[in-house]
Amino acid sequence: MLDDKKDEIFLSRWINGELSEEELREFKSHPEYEYYMKIMAGADALDLKGYDVEKELTIIKSKRGNNTIKKSSSVIKLWPYFAVAASVAIILGLFLFGPNESFTTNYGEQLAVTLPDGSEMILNAKSNASFDKDSWEENRTVSLEGEAYFKVKKGSKFTVTTKNGEVSVLGTEFNVQSYTSFFEVACYEGKVSVTNDQQRKVLTAGNAYRNLKNIAPESWTFVAQTPSWINSTSTFRSVPIKYVFKEIEEQYNIKVDTSNINTGVIYTGTFPNDNIEVALKTVFSTLGMDYSLSQDGKTVVLEK
Amino acid sequence: MSDNKNSTCNEQAFDQFFKSQSKLLRNYIYYKFGDLEQAEDIVQDTFIKLWNNCSKVPLDKAKSYIYTIATNLGISITRHQKVRFKYQDYITQRKSDVTNESPEFIALEKEYMEKLKNAIADLPERQREVFLLSRIDKKTYKEIAEMSNVSVKAIEKLMHKALLAMRKKIGNI
Repeated sequence: MLDDKKDEIFLSRWINGELSEEELREFKSHPEYEYYMKIMAGADALDLKGYDVEKELTIIKSKRGNNTIKKSSSVIKLWPYFAVAASVAIILGLFLFGPNESFTTNYGEQLAVTLPDGSEMILNAKSNASFDKDSWEENRTVSLEGEAYFKVKKGSKFTVTTKNGEVSVLGTEFNVQSYTSFFEVACYEGKVSVTNDQQRKVLTAGNAYRNLKNIAPESWTFVAQTPSWINSTSTFRSVPIKYVFKEIEEQYNIKVDTSNINTGVIYTGTFPNDNIEVALKTVFSTLGMDYSLSQDGKTVVLEK
Repeated sequence: MSDNKNSTCNEQAFDQFFKSQSKLLRNYIYYKFGDLEQAEDIVQDTFIKLWNNCSKVPLDKAKSYIYTIATNLGISITRHQKVRFKYQDYITQRKSDVTNESPEFIALEKEYMEKLKNAIADLPERQREVFLLSRIDKKTYKEIAEMSNVSVKAIEKLMHKALLAMRKKIGNI
């Protein structure tokens, strides 16, 4: 529709009035111009239903009800309150100064966690991450089992430790997948360093690294801006199918019975994380495998 | 702690924070998950949660806190039933602007506006979010980038893509 030579933010620049005079003149004489003008004129005439801030605030105040401070003027015996206060302090202390904050996701779940410095961590299904809140300022370290996407605020060194190696950065966006005998790191912004027993590797934005058991470590480049699972799609690039099956199991809480097939086959493709029928069909039909679901819907049996 | 003017537990500070943030949060959640009434419920629950945790969330962290909580609530509600973006009764046409700002617009038929809203509803979540924050809430690319913690460039790309997708969907009318 628009010439291919137009850059990938051309229309954004146009809306913002950032085109050069020449670019603008050229665009105006383009047959597509009037259609985009129409879209913008239409869009700018749209309005959203109003929002009554005062009313909403009143509702919230009535709902949060009992949490507002109750003032009492009667004389109070202090001792029992000291006792209660002391035990509350002890219990709170246990929570606040406990060794670690820990987050776990179950089958098919995702969880966004804001870390103490405002960095973000999004956990994919069947994963666990923990960190020490109290020493966070000195030591930004998260231990991870499973898969998570990180958006790290600039600051001191930020480290993700897994049993397969360490990933450390200063401020960036990256995805880590660490399972038994599977380790993959993809960097989406900035720069990360990956260290394991064998080597140390630096990844820049758009680069990924993988280390599988029995397969030589490999690196590649990609163009996506966030991992596809954030938008409920699992993506694989030349991965032995046993890892693909593992992801299906984690997303849908089912078992895949592979006793009849060769699990060394390599798979490249995607499947949705919110529609089991489509997911099974996509993966198994492209692999040329027949499958059937057990009666309780919990096990998928494969036939070559 | 609750006497401190900069504490989230301070009633006045909380009210002011609510007044400055709640509408945009509601719109953001609506664009993301597609249901305005549901978005308003999520905003209520989010701020109640903020109040209950006010001693743990300092005022300067409260903004990212409410966005995270509200997004998580939205994800957990919509996980099992993906709703299509609802715009009937929610998105209307500003009458005055029609005549003042864009005379060409008067000529656009009602049908075109329906097609346009439909095209917006069909956009992928992120593109729709960016497009509507920019057009309805009049947020700059920089402000939108800060809300979702990505680069301005990423927002510009999404905006460009959104327009291409809408243009394709609407066709030559």
